Amino acid sequence: MSFAFDPFAAAVDADPFPYYKILRDEYPCFWSAEAGMWVLSRYADIVVALNDWQTYSSAQGNMMTELPNRAGSTLGTTDPPRHDRLRGLIQHAFLKRNLEAMAEPMRAIAKMVLVAVREREQFDFLEDFSSKFTVRVLFAVLGLPLGDEKQVRDQAVLMVQSDPVTRQKGPAHLAAFAWMTDYAAKVIEERRRQPQDDLISLFSQAEIDGDKLAEREVLLTTTTLIMAGIESLGGFMAMLALNLADHAAARRRLVAEPTLIPDAIEESLRYNTSAQRFRRCLQRDVTLHGQTMRAGDFVCLAYGSGNRDERQFPDPDSYDIDRKPKGHLGFGGGVHGCLGGAIARMACRIAFEEFLDALPTFRRVEAQLPWMPSSTFRSPLRLQLART
Amino acid sequence: MIVIFIEPGGTRREIEVPEGWTLMQAATANGVEGIEAECGGSCACATCHCYVEQGLERLPPPNETEAAMLENVAAERQPNSRLSCQLKPDAGAAPLCVRLPWRQS
Ligand code: HEM
Ligand code: FES
Repeated sequence: MSFAFDPFAAAVDADPFPYYKILRDEYPCFWSAEAGMWVLSRYADIVVALNDWQTYSSAQGNMMTELPNRAGSTLGTTDPPRHDRLRGLIQHAFLKRNLEAMAEPMRAIAKMVLVAVREREQFDFLEDFSSKFTVRVLFAVLGLPLGDEKQVRDQAVLMVQSDPVTRQKGPAHLAAFAWMTDYAAKVIEERRRQPQDDLISLFSQAEIDGDKLAEREVLLTTTTLIMAGIESLGGFMAMLALNLADHAAARRRLVAEPTLIPDAIEESLRYNTSAQRFRRCLQRDVTLHGQTMRAGDFVCLAYGSGNRDERQFPDPDSYDIDRKPKGHLGFGGGVHGCLGGAIARMACRIAFEEFLDALPTFRRVEAQLPWMPSSTFRSPLRLQLART
Repeated sequence: MIVIFIEPGGTRREIEVPEGWTLMQAATANGVEGIEAECGGSCACATCHCYVEQGLERLPPPNETEAAMLENVAAERQPNSRLSCQLKPDAGAAPLCVRLPWRQS
């Protein structure tokens, strides 16, 4: 039987790792007919692609199933030099040292959200903790008006999904994207009328080389920041919680010594990689492992596979908080490496310091988890935890 | 291509940098001490700062983004300061040699 790899299949959402192993070992440069793109799965090949944006372009979109008319107007979907100028405008706000002021507000949000969770014997980590926490943190960081948190988060989660049957965005996903774009447009207009000291005010008035940003860039970058921030962070926190539920010894060490939490975050970014797969578009022919990929072909960079590559990480399938996996691909890398990396690390650390303090022992309730149908991201839709 | 890294404690490490990799990637993948690379090479954190002790003149000068980010380095900035995530080795006569600062953040 010939090997197939379909990133839209439910089996891949649930457990892509056995497929990745075959890809790395036998088909390191693989044409997936189902996805209509090449798949690179070895760490070293992904690193080379990330360093070479001239060849591996993001300008045709970076999500496996792209949202309509987004490509070309956001950070993740432009190439340098435009990309660098766009990024230069907001990068400063995301530097680690400029985030320190957020630490106490983040801690206060975590404590507040945990008040209700503390009382419960059983709860959904996503619904009851990580969603509420990430939405409020992102609202504070970006300067979004409070009030619509639940709806914003629900739409953000829908936007990143795709239909496993048509292998495209379905009507509900497109409607969520339209909703988010409208929402962003309203916030931008409000901030233009009454600028505040926040990122969206700054961005909506920014200029590049004396030109105001195109309206589409302001709008879609804001939309993407909301989506990337809320969905990526909430999804990753669920994966970390899952790892700590499944690896009680690691969890006990973190409870006893909270300074180890950052090590667990790095290992979970490697081991689980909530941002599994992104894509690029080739700008010239490239021959790799005996296959010739043609200019114009799409290429999937399977970060989740590179992070389990035994050529790079010894014993890759074991979860080991002492590993300190430097150079993992959990945030991608190269010019498009995650803008929110520093803020995500800080938010996660603070969230889990508070969470483990409130709930030092817990287990997962369901053996089988409902996985999000998304060819790009991997996280459960629900994670029931119970105190033990 | 071989690149020599001098760790903050003084240890000299000779590292093979694969074709297409940056100095930062080869260093972190090989456990060289003294690089944080918080941003993963997107030139957004300045925690991969290094001093180029040998081969500086062979490297292309910093682009606009690197030049701007170099202003954020934590240790003293010197004329040979560069961000190692922006550097790829070349096939020059003698290997590149970079020294890592005592602090990155
Ligand atoms: C743990 C949480 C997160 C994970 C795992 C994650 C993962 C990633 C990955 C893998 C990429 C690279 C995409 C590519 O290769 O095309 C990326 C890019 C990006 N992320 Fe994140 N992210 C997280 C949190 C955030 C947050 C909180 C924000 C914003 C507040 C954010 C904003 C962005 C942006 C704007 C980009 C595009 C950067 C560029 O192309 O220059 N992310 N993220
Ligand atoms: S790794 Fe962040 S600037 Fe080089």
